[in-house]
Order: sequence, then C-alpha cells, then structure tokens
Amino acid sequence: MPQATATDAPLAAPAVDVRDIAKSFRTGHLRPVYRPALRGLSFSIARGEIFGYLGPNGSGKTTTLKILFGLLFPDRGSATILGHPLGSRAWRYKAGYQPEHPYFYDYLTATEYLDYAGRLFGMGTTERKGRIADLLRLVNLEPVADVPLRRFSKGMIQRVGLAQALINDPELVFLDEPMSGLDPLGRRLVRRIIMDLKAAGKTVLFSTHILSDAESLCDRVALLRGGELLKVGALDQILTLDVSHLEVLVSGISEAALTGIPIRHRVRVGERLTLEVDEGRLGEVIRAIEAQSGRVLSVHPIRQSLEEFFVKEMGGAGRGEAWD
Amino acid sequence: MVAVAANTFRETVRERVLYNLVFFAILMTLCGLLLGQLSIRQDEKIIKDIGLAAMELFGHVIAIFIGIALVSKEIERKSLYPLLAKPLSREELFLGKFAGLGFTLLVNVGAMAAGLFATLLVTRGEADPALLKAVFAIYLSLLLVVAIAMLFSAVTSTALAAVCTVCLVLAGRFSDVVRNMKQVAPGVPDRLVDFLYFALPNFRNFDLKDKVTYGEFVPWHVLGWITLYNVVYITVLLGIGLACFRRKEFQ
Repeated sequence: MPQATATDAPLAAPAVDVRDIAKSFRTGHLRPVYRPALRGLSFSIARGEIFGYLGPNGSGKTTTLKILFGLLFPDRGSATILGHPLGSRAWRYKAGYQPEHPYFYDYLTATEYLDYAGRLFGMGTTERKGRIADLLRLVNLEPVADVPLRRFSKGMIQRVGLAQALINDPELVFLDEPMSGLDPLGRRLVRRIIMDLKAAGKTVLFSTHILSDAESLCDRVALLRGGELLKVGALDQILTLDVSHLEVLVSGISEAALTGIPIRHRVRVGERLTLEVDEGRLGEVIRAIEAQSGRVLSVHPIRQSLEEFFVKEMGGAGRGEAWD
Repeated sequence: MVAVAANTFRETVRERVLYNLVFFAILMTLCGLLLGQLSIRQDEKIIKDIGLAAMELFGHVIAIFIGIALVSKEIERKSLYPLLAKPLSREELFLGKFAGLGFTLLVNVGAMAAGLFATLLVTRGEADPALLKAVFAIYLSLLLVVAIAMLFSAVTSTALAAVCTVCLVLAGRFSDVVRNMKQVAPGVPDRLVDFLYFALPNFRNFDLKDKVTYGEFVPWHVLGWITLYNVVYITVLLGIGLACFRRKEFQ
C-alpha cells in the first residue's frame, strides 16, 4: 500500500490533539445569525486508547468529526492527527472513518464497495481481495457479499460502514454512532470488534449517546454539551464514589431474616443478596447479619453510573439537544 | 482519480435511464430508416439528419441529467463523506467524476454512431466517414454540457442546478440571437452584447450536422479550433466548479 508517510510523525505524538476548535453555522439569509456549534474544544487522545465522545444529539459530536476529516472548516483552532496537521494527507492512510447514518452506493455490492474503498488507499488487487474477505467475515456479511447494497437493512449498512472504515487496517479509527440501527447481536459484534482493535494496539474514538456502550468500552471519555466540553478523563476519575451509601454483598441469609434491619434497597441474585445501606448504619447491619448466621462477602462504596453522572451534570439536555 | 472515474462509469452504466436513452436514440435512427423508405432519393440525408439530431438530443439529456446528479446526489445522500475521509482530495473526486462521465458519454455516443452507421450500411450499402466529424463535434459539446452541469451542481441544489444548466445550454445554442441584439435593441451597450456573446458557451460551433449531411466538406482546422475552444471553456468551468467545491462545507 503506498503510504504517503515519508515523514512519519514521532510515535510519542498523541493520536489526536485538538486545540481550541470553534465552529458556528449561519442560519437565515436576510438577517443571518451565527449559531455556535463548537466553542473552543481542546482535548487529546493517547495512542492505543478507546475514547468515548459523549453527548446528547446536537451537542457537536458529529461536527467535531467532520472538522477532523475536512468536511467542515473550523472558525478557529487547530488539530493534529497521528502527529500530522489536519490538512495533511499522510494521516489519512492510517485512519478509518465510519460516518453516522452512512449511505453507500446502492448499485454496488458489499464486495464492490469495499474494493472501491481499498482502491482509494492504493491497495493492490491481491491485498484488497484478502482484506475484503477478512472484513466481510468479521462483520458477518459473508453470505450477502455479492448482494446489492440497496437490499441491505439499516443494520447491515452500518456493518458495511464499519468494514470500509477498517479496509486499510488503520491505526486510528473514528466511529460516529457505530451502534445506531443495530440489533442486540449487531451491537455485541461491534463491541467485540472495538475491543479487538484495542487489543491490537489501535486507537478508537467513538461518539455515542448510548451511555452503557461508553461505560463498558472506554478508557476515557469526553462529555460534550452545547458545543462545550464539560469533562474529559478516565471513567473512574469522572464518576464519583458515593461514600454515603454502601453496597454489601451477603450470603447464607433469607430475605425474611432481614426484617428490622435498616436496608435502603435489596436485590437477590441466586444465593447472594446485594444490600444498599447508609454508611452510618453499616456496623448495625453487619452485626444483624452475623446474628442471623449470614456471611458478609464484600462492602463497597456505591459508584455513580455514567447515566447518573450525565443527568446530574446536565440537568437534562441543553437547548437544541435531545437524548434518545 | 482513476478509481473514482471507473466507479462513476459503473454507476452510470447501471442507471436504467441510460439504457432507455440509448434505446430511444437507436429507435430514432430506425424511424429515420422508415421515413427514408417513404421518400425518393432523400433517404440517406433523412437518416443522417435524424440519426445525428437524435444523438445530440439524447446525449444532451444524458449529460445534463447525470452531470447534475453525480455531484449533487453525492452531497445530498452524504455518500461522499466516507470517500473524502480517505486519502482522496476534493480535486481528484471532482475531476474523477468528470472523467468517468466523459467516458460514459464516449461509450454512448460511440454506440449511437455505430447504430447510425449500421443503418446507413444496411440501407445504402455505404456510410460516409465524414459523419464522424459531426459525431466528434457532438461529443465535444456533450463534454461542455457536463462541465456546466458539474459547475452548477457544485454551487447550488439539484433543482436549481438543473434549471441553470438547461438555461445556459439553451442560451448557448441561440447565441446568434445575442449577437443580433445590436440590431433588435440598439439601446443595449455594444460592449455588453459582445461580452455576453463571447462569455456564453457557443454551442453553434459544434453543430456540423447540416454540413456533413449535405456533403459539405468540413476542414480539419475547424475541428482543431472547436477542440481548442472546448478545452479552454471546459478548463475554465471546471476550475470555477473546483474552486467552489473545495470551499464547500458538508453539514
């Protein structure tokens, strides 16, 4: 593959480094109004990490990705990708992009489209054939490889989108709402592919408003609202520990035996019970359980979920934004 | 760019409308054959006339219809997003589309010309090679129409691009009317009339149908001049279109 990368950037450079990028859109013709979409974003993504770009619809996630790929031009700011400036062609040989709600030429088959994508990277015929076969297997589209895309469902198109983003075996993959339109099996498949990419040392940026996906996959996340970054960091740093309440895992005790013990919430899973108790009453609860011959297996402070964090931070969606 | 051009050709070939138009062009030639049988000694001229006119008409429809759709459809359906994210410049995409459509038109005009020659050979036992000069001129005019269509589709919506392209092509076909404005409307400044006359694409330059049909000799230098005119005009149009396409934001 002709990688136009004679001037390979140093490996120490972050995969993505965004500095003070701002963008506004003009609305109206007679009296134009400029609506800010991004307000001076700055963040960086280290090589090899899975970075979640989170925010409600309309918060600026797709606008950011479009600026990085040159589909929109920023009002101000700059960025480097894999150590190369945005305008450089070199990093594009090493990056893949799956757009949100992708549309591909419906007169082509999946094989033909991937072949076209491979040719744009200058890949040779043999290399393309091998890579296309691997990718169609990866996204479970082998049986429909030669069916025109116009007969594909939304979820299948989404998987073609993922395959074309990986055609060049990229070092850095940008996925814009990759779970959109996928059934549970498709979502599981995409999650597995993202984890495999990380295991192979690739960097993944994926934007989503589905918080459970971000929580289960991301090393770090950026939280976007109204074009502004609210937080950037590791989930463990962002999600605060709620030490006022504790989660106590117990076994060898029936629910009936818990009568009179001050418990806020209880969930039974097989032989075990998970109890949520106030921190000040922990000693009392443990003594009561031991008095009933139960066993305390673990005690943990309750960690805030990403969803709880979002709701708290945002107080609902911002203007022009919506959570699905 | 070659990959884009090849895919553009594949796209246009798989458009059923294209097949229909070629079919109609061939049908028109067959109509000419029928008319020719009804006339005495005029059959060859009628076949040539109708064949070339049909080739020009259907070629223009194809050039306008697909020239606009190729770029604006990509923008509206967002199918160019994953392409522009790859190591493919906007220039390569734009020019690749033009090259692909140019090749499609070459194949189409070639097919229609082959149909016309076959008709003449069957009915007259001979076909005048000078017809190829008119066919070549038609092909040049179609490339110019494509360049106009691509320019407008790079700067405006599909519908407006279609209207603007048709208007400019029609104005170019009747450029003599503009020149005669000096006599019809003496109040209009001469410089404005001259500017309009020279700025509009003069499609009459490419109209060699009558000369060829009636056996008039078309010198080679005429073909050279219209080729040069075509190349210069297309270069300017594509240059402007490219400048607009390069600055275009895809929201």
